[in-house]
Amino acid sequence: MRAVRAPAHPGRVAILQADLLAKRFGPVTAVEEVSLTVAEGEIAGLLGPNGAGKSTTLHMLLGLVTPDSGRIRIFGLDLERHRTEVLNQVNFSASYLGLPGVLQVREVLDAFARLYGLRRPAGRVAEVVELLELGPLLRRKVIDLSSGQQTRVQLAKALLNRPRLLILDEPTAALDPDAGDRIRSLLVGVAREWGGAMLITSHNMREVERMCDRIHFMSGGRIIATGTAAELAGLFGVADLEEVFLKVARQ
Amino acid sequence: MTTTAFPPLSAAARRRRIGGVVRRDLAALRRSPVRIFEIVFWPTVELVVWGFVTVYLRAGDVPFIVSTLLGAVLLWQILHRASNEVSMGFLEDIWSRNLLNMHVTPLTAAEYLSGLVVFSLTKVVFSVAVMGTLAYVLYGFGILTVGVALVPFMAVLLVLGWALAIAAISCVLRFGEGAQVIAWSLVFVFQPIAGVFYPVSVLPSGLQVVASFVPATHVFQGMRDVLAGSPIPWDRMAAAAALDVVYVALALALYTVTLRHARAKGRLSRFGE
Ligand SMILES: Nc1ncnc2c1ncn2[C@@H]1O[C@H](COP(=O)(O)OP(=O)(O)OP(=O)(O)O)[C@@H](O)[C@H]1O
Ligand SMILES: [Mg+2]
Repeated sequence: MRAVRAPAHPGRVAILQADLLAKRFGPVTAVEEVSLTVAEGEIAGLLGPNGAGKSTTLHMLLGLVTPDSGRIRIFGLDLERHRTEVLNQVNFSASYLGLPGVLQVREVLDAFARLYGLRRPAGRVAEVVELLELGPLLRRKVIDLSSGQQTRVQLAKALLNRPRLLILDEPTAALDPDAGDRIRSLLVGVAREWGGAMLITSHNMREVERMCDRIHFMSGGRIIATGTAAELAGLFGVADLEEVFLKVARQ
Repeated sequence: MTTTAFPPLSAAARRRRIGGVVRRDLAALRRSPVRIFEIVFWPTVELVVWGFVTVYLRAGDVPFIVSTLLGAVLLWQILHRASNEVSMGFLEDIWSRNLLNMHVTPLTAAEYLSGLVVFSLTKVVFSVAVMGTLAYVLYGFGILTVGVALVPFMAVLLVLGWALAIAAISCVLRFGEGAQVIAWSLVFVFQPIAGVFYPVSVLPSGLQVVASFVPATHVFQGMRDVLAGSPIPWDRMAAAAALDVVYVALALALYTVTLRHARAKGRLSRFGE
């Protein structure tokens, strides 16, 4: 398959730059030669079938998994050597994460506000609570929330430090269509307002089409194509992203 | 945009992040009555059992053994609690699938462990206060009769407990959740060796050599000496403190290596599944 590289934001600074990342787990090659950039203010999507290597790629960008080879620079800093400085301005949310269940929502947010070294934890907690409409849930224990409500708390956590780079692994997987829709609008709004960048994975093609400025299509541990939804459809000679997906997945 | 946070490498930011770990654990403690019950329950059971043993022995006219056994129970609890509370803080992150959330914060390994340690201190102090009161009320043993020696004794045991906990955490990181049992039992390996309830001189000579390399040995022997009327054995305490430093250094090295290994093997995301 031919790879295309389209600079989506010519002239804009790359805040994330990953070069030739590779990761093997024993006999399994999870990621192979993945290079990608995310520009300031860009919402980038990482798409691909199950097992394509999306989560592994994100985990390498977050320092959770050490790449076997390749290099990661975020905000111009080498991730390995400047972990604390980089992570201070990054955040992450994923459908498979949990939060301390016995804690009330306000206690969770207070703790994470401090873990991100915020000067005024209470003020910032109040802001994200308003943004995600968590007011009525503040005194409920996390364990008692529905999974959709927990997702909103996770996202509130992920916005606490006003991240310059927000990494989301299937963020809306547990949300109903209405909540999902509102969260998408909110995330897009936040990105536009703060100028922060996002890197998102999702199996919801409409979500990706709607949110992402640029899409990296992964398969078998490699990025096989990059472009806007329309560009990818054109490249594969199909009508939309959903059909691109089916075509790649069934090859 | 980043003025909302302290500069990430500043002392203020580090204090704030450690405070985050401590406050989280304190909140978790407040929200789970079972854990509060636990810090009172086990120490009390031990104290009552050993208290009656000493009452029995006293009837057989063995005078100062009463205070040495009760003192040993109290000091042992310090070591045991210090170790278990730190392990518990870490395991809760695993049980609640919160480990990745913690590892994507700017929190460093040293800050994370410091937070767990500070939190454990509050619980140990509480536990000891409860037990000290009970020992006095039930058996008339005032832990304060040990005197100022209590300060170095407790300090050595606390630090040893933390070192053991960090080693136990490393085992869980390395071998997975199945290794949890190590977190609860590692400290008991030291109970027979350290001469908690009897002088190490009753051990076979090989074990006596091993015992001399365990910081706790010097504390429990020191306690018996002090209760028997001898002055505080500062040379012993200095040796114990030096050993503590070695134990902590080894534990931290182990944690660093296992964390690096966990990242290399992609283990961090595999907990809780
Ligand atoms: N920690 C790990 N240990 C062993 N193998 C792993 C590990 N993490 C991922 N893998 C393997 O690497 C490959 C890529 O997995 P990854 O989770 O990155 O895929 P993904 O694109 O996120 O898939 P999905 O859409 O299902 O979430 C899979 O074959 C998976 O089994
Ligand atoms: Mg995945």
